[in-house]
Amino acid sequence: MDSGFIALITMYLVASVRMATPLILAGLGEAVSEKAGILNIGVEAIMLSGAFFSFIVAFFTGNLYLGLLTGILGGILVSMIHAVLSIHCKANQTIAGLALNFMVMGLTSFLFLIVFGQTTTIPACNMFGDLKIPLLSSIPIIGPALFNQNIFVYLALIGIILTAIFFYKTEWGINLQAVGEYPQAANSAGLNVFAIRYFACFINGVLGGLGGASITLGQLGFFMENVTSGRGYIALVAVILGRRNPIGIFAAAMVIGFSQALQYNLQTLGFPIPTQVFTMFPYLVAVIVLFLSIGKSIDPSALGIPFERNKR
Amino acid sequence: MALLSMKNISKSFFGKMANSQVCFDLEPGEIHALLGENGAGKTTLMNILYGIYSRDSGDIFWKGQKVSFTSPRDAIAFQIGMVHQHFMLVPTLTVSQNITLGLKEKGYPFTDRKALNATITEVAQKYGLQIDVNAYISNLSVGEQQRVEIIKLLYRDAELLILDEPTAMLTPQETEYFFEVLRKLRADGHSVIIITHRIPEIMSISDRVTVLRDGYNVVTAKTSDISEQELSRYMIGRQLQIIQREAVVSDTGSEGISLEEVSLKEKGRERLNSLSLQIAPGEIVGVAGVDGNGQKELVEVILGIRKQSSGKIRMDGVDMSSMSVLERKKLGIGYISDDRHQDGLVMDMSLTDNILLKTHTDRRFIKHGLINTRLVRAETQKAVEDYAIKTPGLNTPLRYLSGGNQQKLILAREMAGNPKAIIAHQPTRGLDIGATEFVQQQLLQHRSNGCSILLISADLEEVLLLSDRIAVLYKGCFMGIFPNTPELNLSQIGLLMAGKTSEARKESL
Repeated sequence: MDSGFIALITMYLVASVRMATPLILAGLGEAVSEKAGILNIGVEAIMLSGAFFSFIVAFFTGNLYLGLLTGILGGILVSMIHAVLSIHCKANQTIAGLALNFMVMGLTSFLFLIVFGQTTTIPACNMFGDLKIPLLSSIPIIGPALFNQNIFVYLALIGIILTAIFFYKTEWGINLQAVGEYPQAANSAGLNVFAIRYFACFINGVLGGLGGASITLGQLGFFMENVTSGRGYIALVAVILGRRNPIGIFAAAMVIGFSQALQYNLQTLGFPIPTQVFTMFPYLVAVIVLFLSIGKSIDPSALGIPFERNKR
Repeated sequence: MALLSMKNISKSFFGKMANSQVCFDLEPGEIHALLGENGAGKTTLMNILYGIYSRDSGDIFWKGQKVSFTSPRDAIAFQIGMVHQHFMLVPTLTVSQNITLGLKEKGYPFTDRKALNATITEVAQKYGLQIDVNAYISNLSVGEQQRVEIIKLLYRDAELLILDEPTAMLTPQETEYFFEVLRKLRADGHSVIIITHRIPEIMSISDRVTVLRDGYNVVTAKTSDISEQELSRYMIGRQLQIIQREAVVSDTGSEGISLEEVSLKEKGRERLNSLSLQIAPGEIVGVAGVDGNGQKELVEVILGIRKQSSGKIRMDGVDMSSMSVLERKKLGIGYISDDRHQDGLVMDMSLTDNILLKTHTDRRFIKHGLINTRLVRAETQKAVEDYAIKTPGLNTPLRYLSGGNQQKLILAREMAGNPKAIIAHQPTRGLDIGATEFVQQQLLQHRSNGCSILLISADLEEVLLLSDRIAVLYKGCFMGIFPNTPELNLSQIGLLMAGKTSEARKESL
């Protein structure tokens, strides 16, 4: 094969994995949540909160790991608000998620303005560098894509494996599925439906916050208003396309990540087309792929339905 | 000493008493039946024991020790297990996964499924319960699912098994097999509480019986000391009228409803397989069969809700195969759906609006293109009076009426204007004895008026009580159509309901 062609493929693959990382992280979290019956369309809010808090701490302390940790906490904060609303208050989960998206977008922009004021130069922080894994990284094509990346990519890959084991090889996965499919049966079998759902929401916060942090600390090095720009929604698409299966989510995120990488590339090639057209590209791909998968999604039966113990 | 003793249990829902000062005792190693009409508080009482509902007052003693369960987990820890009327099995999990759900077995969370499967099979075989541990619940029949529920309890070492209406969905043979299992359990030292409203079953299986009525306990007695008549009187608080089906001379002028080789294929599956049937005016044809063998499909094809793949449906000679639902109903078909909440009524709408659901295209009710509300109200008022519907007012949302009164409204709507045909799918499902009696009498009344009636019921007793002929439906096929005479061979019907044609043939010889 032509070495130039291989180089091109490698380059796209590296970029696709990078673009897919936030989607994989947030998507895995959402999959855990949805398996337990909690539909959180506030992934965008979780990610945005993760992105904001990780940036703020990384900016002022200079410590990236502390930033990463705060990003996770930011994600947990938002997902737990959603959890209390939908599990304890039995609110409509979609509306709660939607409200959180708008609230967090306003809140992070507002806090950002308070901290930095109106500036012409965007404040920047350090970013995680690439960690080259010896031997593995020298495999052609997939080596550079999977084993010469930043910490978030590795976390996402480990996350896929751990989630897959969790879902399909442990009793916990069975419990999670039982709670999402038929909470009354789970309750009757002696499982604590509320605790399991809260736990699932917690995991969603951790992974979603991590996904948000991966944008600011892994891709951009700065924060700005609505920095996630809909990636939370795209992560939801990846979850549905991937049927809540970790490998499926990975594949779906890679397809979308590839179209994002392609989009950036096309923008720089200087076609006489407005850049907005290219920006639309990944979303267009998402819509088309969703069209192709009509009727194939098998949702957990109790998805989005609050569980009530004393109900008649 | 009593194994279990519940003292003065009270519980109310939204100000309505479901249990008032109920007392209940259970001896070790007995099968104790809990009898009562729907809404008498049987299930509520057991749910309180099992920790699903919290009680308002009262005490529970288990082996002399005062206990209070706040969740089924607590009850299971005390070796009490319950099989609910609606099975508590997760359809997307396997039999084995469902049985061990919620348990922390050796190696948790990485349990050795093979070892568990061996233990489960061992427990199941001890009581003669056959089951494939790796099958998914969604692929199992109702009888098999019930077996899974029982094994689930036995696997958890349940000493007391609470069974809520366990025979409601079983064929007569399955019921007999199930009772055998219960007797084995009793012989093995287990105690069983069986909730039911079927008196003959109580006579055959239980040692003692407790009757609940309107949330109060009426009587507890040894089954051998009490008669069926006494039990039914205790249960409904009055003597039951005996329903008599009198011979009706059918009017030969019209044909009634006829199906000609009607088939329905959906998603590549044969739902109805070449069904032919004629229901003469003044005749009730009952369809016996276990739920899910094409009953819903049959009903919906006749009404035009689903479209048959082949075959013809006629009404008094008029081919209505390609007519819409509305056109068919205008030919004079009344429809009582098996799921009144889903298909029959809008729960948040008032009585008047629900009456309008069928009559909104009726010219009588339309004036200048608008609905004549006064006329509809008058019609509804008449329905309320004729059918003795208990309601606070005509504008009350249906949600606040009892199941029996909701069903009466459907009858009033669907039987108005002397329909030529009535399709009654489980018309008495979820109704208490009083309301059931009323519905059955209405059906017989219309039969005498020359109406062709298709009655589909999971309750074989009901089919036998009302039908002139009985068709047995199994996997979308009629296994046979028999005149309902006293010579009818019941065990043959039961075998056909389970699809056992060859055994049924032997039986009839």
